[in-house]
Amino acid sequence: MTAIATPASPASRRRPAWFLPVVSLGGVAAYYLLLRFVFGIGEGTALQQVANALSTGAIYALVALGYTMVYGIIELINFAHGDVFMVGAFVSLFFLVQVLGNTGLTAPITNLPVLLLLIGAALLVTMPLIGLLNVGIERFFYRPLRNAPRLAPLITAIGVSFILQNIALVIAGSGDESSPQIFPIRDWRLSIGEITIPYLSLFVFALAMVLMVLLQTFVGRTRLGRAMRSTAQDREAAALMGVDLNQTIALTFLLGGALAGAAGVVWGLTYGYVRSDLGFNAGLKAFTSAVLGGIGNITGAVLGGFIIGFVEVFATTLGQTRWSQFVVFVVLALVLVFRPAGILGQQVGERA
Amino acid sequence: MRFRKLGALAVGGALVVGACTQTPAASPGGSASASAGGSAAGSGAAGDTSKGTVKIAVELPLEGSELAASQPIINGIRLAVKEAGGAAGGYAVEVPESAVYDDAVNGAHDPQQGATNMQTIVQDPSIVAVIGPLNSSVASAQIPISNEAGLLQCSPANTNPDLTKGDPAKELRPNPDKNNYIRVVTTDDVQGPAAAQYIIDNLGKKSVFIIDDTETFGKGVADAFEAEFKERGGTVVGHEGVPKTTTDYQSILTAAAALKPESIYFGGVTATGGARILKAAVAAGLGDIPYVGPDGINDGSAETPDSFLNLAGDDAKNSYSTLAGIGDFPAKDEFDAAYEAEYGEQATGYAATGYACAQVVLDALRRAGEGGGGSDMAALREAVRAAGTDSSVSYDTILGEITFTPEGDTSQRIISIYAYDPEAKDWAFKEQVDFGAE
Repeated sequence: MTAIATPASPASRRRPAWFLPVVSLGGVAAYYLLLRFVFGIGEGTALQQVANALSTGAIYALVALGYTMVYGIIELINFAHGDVFMVGAFVSLFFLVQVLGNTGLTAPITNLPVLLLLIGAALLVTMPLIGLLNVGIERFFYRPLRNAPRLAPLITAIGVSFILQNIALVIAGSGDESSPQIFPIRDWRLSIGEITIPYLSLFVFALAMVLMVLLQTFVGRTRLGRAMRSTAQDREAAALMGVDLNQTIALTFLLGGALAGAAGVVWGLTYGYVRSDLGFNAGLKAFTSAVLGGIGNITGAVLGGFIIGFVEVFATTLGQTRWSQFVVFVVLALVLVFRPAGILGQQVGERA
Repeated sequence: MRFRKLGALAVGGALVVGACTQTPAASPGGSASASAGGSAAGSGAAGDTSKGTVKIAVELPLEGSELAASQPIINGIRLAVKEAGGAAGGYAVEVPESAVYDDAVNGAHDPQQGATNMQTIVQDPSIVAVIGPLNSSVASAQIPISNEAGLLQCSPANTNPDLTKGDPAKELRPNPDKNNYIRVVTTDDVQGPAAAQYIIDNLGKKSVFIIDDTETFGKGVADAFEAEFKERGGTVVGHEGVPKTTTDYQSILTAAAALKPESIYFGGVTATGGARILKAAVAAGLGDIPYVGPDGINDGSAETPDSFLNLAGDDAKNSYSTLAGIGDFPAKDEFDAAYEAEYGEQATGYAATGYACAQVVLDALRRAGEGGGGSDMAALREAVRAAGTDSSVSYDTILGEITFTPEGDTSQRIISIYAYDPEAKDWAFKEQVDFGAE
């Protein structure tokens, strides 16, 4: 477990490495059994909904990481992050439209190597671009306010959110833009008897997990990661020990932005549309995920994203979509009553 | 992208275009002697503008997918004013660009913006009437303001029954005795049932999964649909409220697929998720059953940017839509020709109802003007309101002869049914259902 904002607590040291994966798997199994036998949902539907929850949760988790890392390192709730994700979805859309237009390929692409190549290219284009966008936002909007009262960067973040949203509105218009669904969501399905689950859900989940493990390894095992963690713990002390604060904070925004870019690519593949106000709602859910898991905590953000994905799908499966937001926030409220810092968050005293 | 010219539309897409039931004096093209309101021609000095200039305001969403629905309405209004010689009742009548108000915020209609616009409109004394809005949710935010100001408001597209009927309508009006709101399209308590009747009788489907967008219009039409569907012996396997902010449609349609519906009904508009829900339905394996929606998804051909058919692509192959108005009219060719001559494109959607609203307003202004018009603009506005909402007057409009009930509803209760035509990539008129006058 890597807590970016807070030192590893005695509680987390007591937990062995297999604890969280096993508990998560158990949770998913319990979720399936709950749907299947308590609520009488059919076998196929229950499995499909688990797959839907995994891909929805993976997107929330990827976006939530950006919120949690930035909060961890400079204690800023970066409200523009949802819109950074939206820009990522648009960049991916434009890239894929260009590629398809110039190569004569048509979505969906059923040739696996070509498909993987194209998704890889979309990620390689979108992730650095969105990472750099996020770094630019930090450089021009947040860095000048780093020592200002906390409300100043917070309001600035809201302003940046509006700027991004309106730029998208001017460039792309206000309606839905169709994103090429190059992954054959309808034909490529995993068949278990009569049940079919789109491979896309599993692909999205796997991709998100790979990115998260890479992030964990980076933050937990490398020199730059150590610099990030030390900056999160005590900015002044880290600077005294020779950590380049500007570089470290920029790196945090780069990583957060790149993950939001990846989430944007995945969004387009999964849902097939992008629009300029997408960032607000996705951002809200992702921010909620980060708080639920314990803001500042990387593992917590991922856990929170999946929990929210599963809770939403749960309400939907029972035919109560209009209650899904309600259920999500009730779960959040309950968790915060018993663990005010979130599921994996640590209580820290207000810093001087 | 927002202001891309509307693409050429196939004939099948020429929707609520009615006949030109005009007197010889008011032929399409607008002779100098033409007067307002069809049969009203001749009385009063046509083209006489001695009493000054008045404006008709227009209030519609002018962004995104809804621009595709609004622009034909504006065109229809301006065509009607032009054909009336730009004058009525001794007043010169204008629809200037400055009196066209946009209630869209971030690409979709916004009731709060609509209310703000209406507050601006009622404060302009030269405005004698307003045509709009497109969306029922906007209308319910505007009627309290326009009613208090006593300003005649004619909607070419609002279909929610609560705007005119029963206690909800009374609560909207500070002055319930002085109605100011009329509409030339019929209501969702007819539009929803028409779809239910078509699914059961013509498509032969006995069960349905209903999704609405939780808004005034979408939920209203979906509820009316549900009641009629059950009434006719059909089975409603589920009814979900899905707000437009929803991100994950896939799990909703996965749950719907488990209930094995024979058809899907969507209550809402393209901007609140019409095409997204269809795509998710196809991905969930529901692509081979009919997907039926109200006029909110009947917003142009696949060429029209941001329209339902544009976004849905080939997934629309089993899509049907209804339109609260007349699709088929013996002499609609005349209107089409006049419209195309004026704007260089085919009349679509609510062009003809916009035209009809303008005819009603012009006729009200003519009668108000003949009655003396009033000493000042405030008195004229009140005279126009009283003339426009007079339930004893019969209007000879492009849609045919109509009267308004004391609540402001049209006597014409006709719903047109359209199906997707994959050849033309456009809506094709199927048939119309006449529910008769109430």
